[in-house]
Amino acid sequence: MLRHDVVVVGAGLAGMRAAIEAKRAGADVAIVSKLHPTRSHSGSAEGGINAALGNASEDSPEIHTFDTVKGSDYLGDQDAIEIMCTEAPGDIYELEHMGAVFSRFADGRIAQRPFGAAGSPRTVYSADITGHVLIHVLYEQLVKYEVPVYEEFFAIDLAIDGGRCVGVLAWDIVGGGVHGISAHNTILATGGVGRMYYGTTNAYACTGDGMSMAWRAGVPLKDMEFMQFHPTTLKSNGVLITEGCRGEGGYLRNASGERFMAEAAPNAMELASRDVVARAESKEIEEGRGVDGCVLLDLTHLGAKKIHARLPGSRELAMDYAGVDPILEPIPVRPGAHYHMGGVDADVDGRTLMPGLYAAGECACVSVHGANRLGGNSLMETITFGRRAGSHAGHDAIEHRNGGLVADSAVRDVDARVRAIFARSSGQRPWQVREELATVMYDYAGIFRTQERLEHCLGTIGELRERGTSVVVDDSGDRFNTDLLSVFELESMLEMADCLVTGALARQESRGAHTRLDFRERDDERWMKHTLAWCDGGKVRLDYKPVTITRFEPMARSY
Amino acid sequence: MQDRYAYYPGCLASLSQKELDSSTRAVCAKLGVELVELESMTCCGAGDIHEAKPDYYLHLNARILGQAEALGIPTILTICNVCTLNLRQANKKLQQDGDELARVNENLAEVGAATYSGGVDVRHLLWEVSEGDGYERFKEIAVRSLEGLKVAPFYGCQILRPSKLLGFENPDQPQSLERLIEACGAEAIDYPAKVKCCGFPIVLAREDVALGMTVQPLEQARDAGADVIVTPCPLCHLSLDAWQQKAEKVAGRALNVPILHLAQLLGAAAGIREDELKFKRHVVRLSREVQDKLLRPEGAAVAGD
Amino acid sequence: MEVTLKIRRSPDGASHTTETYTVDVAETATLLDALDAVKDKRDGTLAYRKSCRMAVCGSCGMRMDGGAVLACKTAMKPLVEQGHVPVISPMGNLPVIKDLVVDMEPFWAKIRAVKPFLQTEEHPDKEHLVEMPVQNANIGKEALCIMCGCCVSECNSMESDPDFLGPAALAKAQRFVGDQRESDDDRRARLKDLNGAHGIWECTRCYFCNQRCPKGVDPRDAIAKLGAQSFRFGSGSEFGAKTNMFAPVGTIVEPGVAHAQVFVDSTHRGGFLDETQLVPKTIGPLAAALDVPFALRLARAGKVPNPLHKHKAKNNDEVKRLWKLLERQAREHDQLGTNHPSLIDSHD
Repeated sequence: MLRHDVVVVGAGLAGMRAAIEAKRAGADVAIVSKLHPTRSHSGSAEGGINAALGNASEDSPEIHTFDTVKGSDYLGDQDAIEIMCTEAPGDIYELEHMGAVFSRFADGRIAQRPFGAAGSPRTVYSADITGHVLIHVLYEQLVKYEVPVYEEFFAIDLAIDGGRCVGVLAWDIVGGGVHGISAHNTILATGGVGRMYYGTTNAYACTGDGMSMAWRAGVPLKDMEFMQFHPTTLKSNGVLITEGCRGEGGYLRNASGERFMAEAAPNAMELASRDVVARAESKEIEEGRGVDGCVLLDLTHLGAKKIHARLPGSRELAMDYAGVDPILEPIPVRPGAHYHMGGVDADVDGRTLMPGLYAAGECACVSVHGANRLGGNSLMETITFGRRAGSHAGHDAIEHRNGGLVADSAVRDVDARVRAIFARSSGQRPWQVREELATVMYDYAGIFRTQERLEHCLGTIGELRERGTSVVVDDSGDRFNTDLLSVFELESMLEMADCLVTGALARQESRGAHTRLDFRERDDERWMKHTLAWCDGGKVRLDYKPVTITRFEPMARSY
Repeated sequence: MQDRYAYYPGCLASLSQKELDSSTRAVCAKLGVELVELESMTCCGAGDIHEAKPDYYLHLNARILGQAEALGIPTILTICNVCTLNLRQANKKLQQDGDELARVNENLAEVGAATYSGGVDVRHLLWEVSEGDGYERFKEIAVRSLEGLKVAPFYGCQILRPSKLLGFENPDQPQSLERLIEACGAEAIDYPAKVKCCGFPIVLAREDVALGMTVQPLEQARDAGADVIVTPCPLCHLSLDAWQQKAEKVAGRALNVPILHLAQLLGAAAGIREDELKFKRHVVRLSREVQDKLLRPEGAAVAGD
Repeated sequence: MEVTLKIRRSPDGASHTTETYTVDVAETATLLDALDAVKDKRDGTLAYRKSCRMAVCGSCGMRMDGGAVLACKTAMKPLVEQGHVPVISPMGNLPVIKDLVVDMEPFWAKIRAVKPFLQTEEHPDKEHLVEMPVQNANIGKEALCIMCGCCVSECNSMESDPDFLGPAALAKAQRFVGDQRESDDDRRARLKDLNGAHGIWECTRCYFCNQRCPKGVDPRDAIAKLGAQSFRFGSGSEFGAKTNMFAPVGTIVEPGVAHAQVFVDSTHRGGFLDETQLVPKTIGPLAAALDVPFALRLARAGKVPNPLHKHKAKNNDEVKRLWKLLERQAREHDQLGTNHPSLIDSHD
């Protein structure tokens, strides 16, 4: 019988931080992850993690809060943002005490560098491999605290009993078979869903499985239409080139060599908010001033010494995947789907509307990022809200310890689904449907959206969801069957795409990362509200809820 | 290939592996290459000093490089893998890091030793004769064909890896020994373990683990039909030769694979005799048959002609 | 462009066959892209791990032509241009689960064994102050490790002794031994463990790990740093891996440490290595004396140098002075549990 006080699904930064905190609270906690923890996508993060330490210059949580609220285009819930920005410095010091290898100033203090849309340089970093450093320090803590991990277990469904989440149903990837893992509290920390877009920085594993499980179980997803496109990704495979390159002084140029950001953001230039930069780039490219579908990220003036010291990872990526040494030549880059602001509707302690179910990290939407996320705030979110969710879930579980059990029938049902997939005989291969989805999303639900484009996209999604129910696998064995997993991942992406595009079609304004060419202005009167996407018999049903505004009255947003 | 080298034989060639030194001198004489002795040599530090006292290692090697420079000779010739890696690694550090070079020189000057300015290169004999002008020169002196001899090359580790310090050839698919074997008229035998470790560095501290490595090239070369193994490193030679009987216990069978130093193979092909090649200094004796193939008089008929 | 791969297939890790596949991929394709094409379009049963595709998660370690690589970091174009068909097989030194998927549990177990987390319990209110140049010299490379297993795959010592801790675990250990925030006591305790039977001194210095590592971690250099630290904290008397029963009472000596000490002493007492000292000092005089057949074989071949005529280079007092000078400087210079700034590493 597999049973714990707390089960965390996902072993990235949010998941590991939650598990560690739940363990510290005294709970019996286990992680379920389809990957070994250090393989999680958090490790790909590069540029840094934000906190108002004040090491580089005067700073305060208030300023950080304001920058984040403004960055969110005022859709972020200000109470949640204030909590994150206030608790961030303590979280950073704690990470340092755990052993995180941060870059330092000459006097030995943690270094901080400028990042997009920040009023003060507050991005704490480890050269340009911050995510790697953080994922390893948390994994080390996992080892220290001896937290068990159901490693390479793919969570397929939440187990629900009487309206309460009682655990997960997971497929053992190595040996095969469905297992019910019961928990008093389940925390989803499954990350984003960039893989539903053709050009994405996301790893293969980022397919939105956790959000999909929650949605299907009747938990609403919030602000799904807001997908951040990172301005600097490589054309060949979508790999991220960190904002840190611009933070260290890099320029963006078009085919004529002009720093085109002067038009869209005369003050912040290359360090404007990501949505502003991504839009400006897309405009250059679409209007014919790009180079082979890209703009140019120019680091040549930074010099070899600085690049070796601060941006060695970026240089390696540019050489490996773009064939360019940034010391000598500019890197061709273009926007790519990067971070999903939307997710499972959760409060500041990670609680969702369903008892026994929590969510933290990118798969959750608290919301601290609103319509657009600042660079460096996502890593912070994972730590702060991962910790809070773990703490709440852990203490709650110890206090009550009356969660139910995953029913045998639930296990049998999921097993039957798997066998049914194995039994399919005619249909496309999963990759074919996935590729069509990713292409239509990138072309029709990308940075610039219109009613026409979105309707076309939605229509295609409907058709693809249909075709997705008959995709066939080559492998019907039990042992390390990743072919089978690709079916579940495809289903998740299709469902999440449906939620995203439905929400985007309904939201008739432009705000943050959601840009409607047919509704160019932000419309606070009608649209200062969060979108909720419910699952209604498999279809998306929209609803809305208010934004929490405390300190900062919504203003026009310019950089 | 140059006409003159600063000669750094290393520890083993000067002591237990004297046959390597005598063969090297004899071959170089035939090649018309002058070997100039360095006045005051120490061990290059091997892996041990490199690991235990890295600063001392750096200074010892700077001192050796400085002596060559003081003689006005731009290249040190080595005949050992470990010496080659050690000298080259120290050299690269000193050539690339001006601050380190200054610090080391200050210390050397303080104790009255020659200082170094970074103007010397370090090359193994294998590199010098396996390509270009040196290869042509060798072919000219290889008058005594070793036809009929099957030779398995054993590179060992530190003439190949790490390739960013050595960089002479592809570390996964080296060919220099094969080229020379063929230039001698012999047949090169291929087998997977030719680029693996002989186990020497831990053969005293962890003998059983080392023998698990030593046994591999011996068995594979034997099973592939080799008469002998040739190696450019006296440490590999020592472990494959002196520890061969212990390796046979691990293998559970007799192996009887004589191990040749590279210079001995080259020397045999150049008509050099036993008094300089000194095969008798090996623990694993050469069979009569193999000895004949290596030492047959110039122009003598090959059996089966 | 068209790419052909030979892949070692194995449904269960026991039996295996080699299958050939040809697929069409982009010119920028990596080995991982080619595998994806094979799995999608030829045979969906092919099993391998992948995630980030940007050489940071460490999932896709596998062998190409017998040497471990990260599939996502290996470009296909050069191979296609050479007309070369690579053989793809699972990493070595780890059990095979299926096709290119190995059981990483033995790998993780060794990582856990080195206590891979900061032990320091005393913390300031804010951050510890850390000198970055020292941090970089001590653990800059070790902190890059993505735990892909490429080093372990090719480790010659581990192939001979599967219990050897191995390059990844030892590099991870150095990441903590060299961390300025660890106390000297913690450092000492760690080193004691690492000087055990399957630790530092089992490394055969084959440099396969440095050669194969896709991230420039240079595990062999990390092991050398641990060796240097072992000397700094007291060679011989502190660490005992193999108690030499016949050595004089009180001498608990790790053979690898003693071995290195002979080299060090030889240089300033003569110049070249004093081989006659090497065997008895490393494995103990009685053990050396008991291995009579071995000694006789060497003697018969003339390989035992005359112990009375030790090598004495000219100007060897220079070396003696150098040794003393450097030892004094090391004492003065000594930084918190760190390595001397001149520690050699092999990065370019």
